[in-house]
Amino acid sequence: MAAHGASGGPTSSALYDAATDAFRRWRAGDEPALDDLVRIMSPVLWHVVRATGLDREAAEDVVQNTWLTLVRSADSVRDAQAITRWLCTSARREAWRVSKASSRTRPVEDEMIDARMPAQASPESEVVAQDESAQLWQALSRLPDRCQRLLRIVAWEPRPDYSSVADTLSMPVGSIGPTRRRCLDKLRLELAALG
Amino acid sequence: MTVSDDDLLLAVARVYQELDPAPADIADGALARLAVEDLEVEFELFTLVQSVDTRVGTRQGSEEPETSATVALEFAGTAYRVLVRISDAGDGARRLDGWVVPALPMRAFLGPQGDTLGHTRQSAYADREGRFEFPTPIRGEVRLWLLPQTSRGDSDAVPPFVTPPFLV
Repeated sequence: MAAHGASGGPTSSALYDAATDAFRRWRAGDEPALDDLVRIMSPVLWHVVRATGLDREAAEDVVQNTWLTLVRSADSVRDAQAITRWLCTSARREAWRVSKASSRTRPVEDEMIDARMPAQASPESEVVAQDESAQLWQALSRLPDRCQRLLRIVAWEPRPDYSSVADTLSMPVGSIGPTRRRCLDKLRLELAALG
Repeated sequence: MTVSDDDLLLAVARVYQELDPAPADIADGALARLAVEDLEVEFELFTLVQSVDTRVGTRQGSEEPETSATVALEFAGTAYRVLVRISDAGDGARRLDGWVVPALPMRAFLGPQGDTLGHTRQSAYADREGRFEFPTPIRGEVRLWLLPQTSRGDSDAVPPFVTPPFLV
């Protein structure tokens, strides 16, 4: 399954609309619509949680717990349009709670050293795409940890709640916008230096 | 040439997806957790009553697909039976389909043997005829968990059941 069905990517309005619609249907009594919502949003929650620095196993638990929390307290989501934000914020809070409770966080980049680039035989176009990925990855890894986390969040989370993002990154909420800007600029510079 | 913020962020999303992807079964794992969460009842353990292995030769030149090697299993509990068919889908792939008798809508989970439902990794819905399928089932020793889809608090609710381990 693709990470995000929406051609515009995870933060596109298509994904946001699909999640909102699934939530609405579920709340109207259509039980299988919850499956749709889980399938649409779990990959997004994964990246949101991994951006907090939790290891893969803990991240998966957090994603599952987020869904349990939703099922138990769905009434607290008053506006269907707020569902993606509710889920991401809730996942981030849970991740924060887990990482405080245990010291299971590990700088993401350390773990990534073990991560493999896609190894399947690929046509030339994919080789080029992989080179680009490798380059972008290299550029990202040269950014400060906070930049990496913030960019991962804003790349994956549809309409993020900046105050919750600020809590995760221990930054004042007002600085999220400017930091996002600076991190993107730094990333462009790193890419240019590599290119 | 300047790449727009949106395009750059889309590329960032892709690179994380490539290098640190969510586990492929993350949604099924969450759905299985949710399914158990709803239940406070015990699962009824079914027993294997019949196993038929028809993996003998393949028919050719008929309308049937050439690969029709099949193992059919029948499990039974106190009020229900479940029939499971494991067929060869070609290229070494397997396909699992089954049905519940008498028919009722179910949620089916397939998981490694000995595992708890909370860790199952594949889910499917059985339709009104009680049919369900796993087009690419996990391999090895597995168990099938079946959760009747009845309204909560329904007094006629059928208890959920689980098969003993069988080989895919």
